[in-house]
Amino acid sequence: MLEIRNLGKRFGDATALKSVSLDIPAGQMVGVIGRSGAGKSTLLRMINRLTEPTHGDIVWRGEAVSSLRGKPLLAWRARCAMIFQQFNLVPRLDVLTNVMLGRAAYKGTLPSLLKLFSPAERAMAIHALERLDCAQLALQRAETLSGGQQQRVAIARALMQAPEMLLADEPIASLDPRSAILVMDALRRINREDGITVLCNLHTLDTARQYCDRIIGIAAGEVVFDGVPAALDDATVRRIYGVAENDQRFDESATSTAAFDAMPPLVAVAA
Amino acid sequence: MRELISDIDAAAIADTRARYPLAFAAPLPVRLGRWGAWLAFVVFTAYCFWTFEVSPVRLWAGSGKLMEVASHLFPPTVGEAFNDYLWALLQTIAMAFIGTVIASVLALPLGLLCARNVLPVRIAQFLFRRTSDTLRGIDQVIWALIFVRAVGLGPLAGILAIIISDTGTLAKLYSEAIENAEKKPVDGIRACGGNALQTIRFGILPQVLPLMLSNALYMFESNTRSATILGIVGAGGIGFYLADRIRTMLWEEASFIMIMILVAVYLIDWLSKLVRRRLIGAAPDTAGGLH
Repeated sequence: MLEIRNLGKRFGDATALKSVSLDIPAGQMVGVIGRSGAGKSTLLRMINRLTEPTHGDIVWRGEAVSSLRGKPLLAWRARCAMIFQQFNLVPRLDVLTNVMLGRAAYKGTLPSLLKLFSPAERAMAIHALERLDCAQLALQRAETLSGGQQQRVAIARALMQAPEMLLADEPIASLDPRSAILVMDALRRINREDGITVLCNLHTLDTARQYCDRIIGIAAGEVVFDGVPAALDDATVRRIYGVAENDQRFDESATSTAAFDAMPPLVAVAA
Repeated sequence: MRELISDIDAAAIADTRARYPLAFAAPLPVRLGRWGAWLAFVVFTAYCFWTFEVSPVRLWAGSGKLMEVASHLFPPTVGEAFNDYLWALLQTIAMAFIGTVIASVLALPLGLLCARNVLPVRIAQFLFRRTSDTLRGIDQVIWALIFVRAVGLGPLAGILAIIISDTGTLAKLYSEAIENAEKKPVDGIRACGGNALQTIRFGILPQVLPLMLSNALYMFESNTRSATILGIVGAGGIGFYLADRIRTMLWEEASFIMIMILVAVYLIDWLSKLVRRRLIGAAPDTAGGLH
């Protein structure tokens, strides 16, 4: 279980996140929605401590991870893997090396700096890539891959960390609809099959409804909705996205890519 | 199920290796090539040491004499010509400043013309690149000797030497920065219907200007140091006094002059840091450091 207590972040005079408290049971798939700048990324980045909280606590399985320093902090980052909107692979390195870098926190510094990876690590990387259907790309440079392929490689790198939790910060915002489906399906599968808690920032509401057990809506640094997708009504959605009640131009599909909606399910395409 | 590294046994490794052999080891010829290259590198390095008779014994013996020379340098003594030194040092700094300013302006068009992404014409690029190679390929001191002949002893020869050699060096650094610039803003301006000059001005320059400024400021500092050498060959500045004090074995005064040069270089470094911060601003993303 992930417990977040009064977590807040200020950047100078600007408040990114006011004071957020959340309980997330292990194994849940949670979608975090909200406008750009609402504080979604800040929340995720504070959980794995890429961003330091201004105040509040983060507790994972009874351990206060918000006060970790040094090696335990690096180990914590490895335990809650992160997926980024722009994939954040090392473009000039091959896919296999990128994936094996998921072992960074588990290896000795010297062997990792010299890129000395054990056969077990190589086999594990191939297995992770196979799960994402990318093993055939193992020896290519990461920069030669399409966006969808890069994001799946990034997920394979996350799997190499043998994580207990997966944080995904707008994982499909830069992808075409088909790649978006592949990536979301992969996250869902990892959540179901591995029992890994997934916390996923999304700005397409229909994706959140389709894939997540629970949706958290954030507006102006505060949690304004927390519940199952079915409980999310039009008025709440308008509040999350800051749209006036009488503005007729807005409906849920406005948060989605039109092509995404227009596309039939992949299964139907195959049949 | 979540796979852990401990789940991977010898059988799993063997199975994966059979399916993806190249993920475990590069092909034999590639590996042989890599080892061969390393071997050649080590052998050549060892050969250089051997042929120049660099050995720990000689280094040890030499260090004794070095200490002897060093002991002559203390205590640094100002002597009777402090005002002359100060004046000559200011002259050196002024030479370096004027030379660097003019060189960095001249290097901009030359750097652009050398860059593959700005001028994709093979033959033109060849010509401009060889031009910049030639300018910097001949050392500053040689240029200074040439200009001393042409325009006589004094700072003008030094300034001309700095301009010529630094135009070549900065053009190379600029053109490399320009070639590494992101293509996205360039496409953005081109898609607006921007012409070549507009595209360079707004698509490329804002990206590379901070690096160019850093390079130019570094050249200013570097020129202040090397302008002392120019003084030795008669091209004006503090180097004249330094060479003279060394020639006449006035080591304590020589070390005083060296300290003056060091202080000047520190000051320039500090000033260029201020200028950089003022003009470029702090990078927003580095606030958290690496952790």
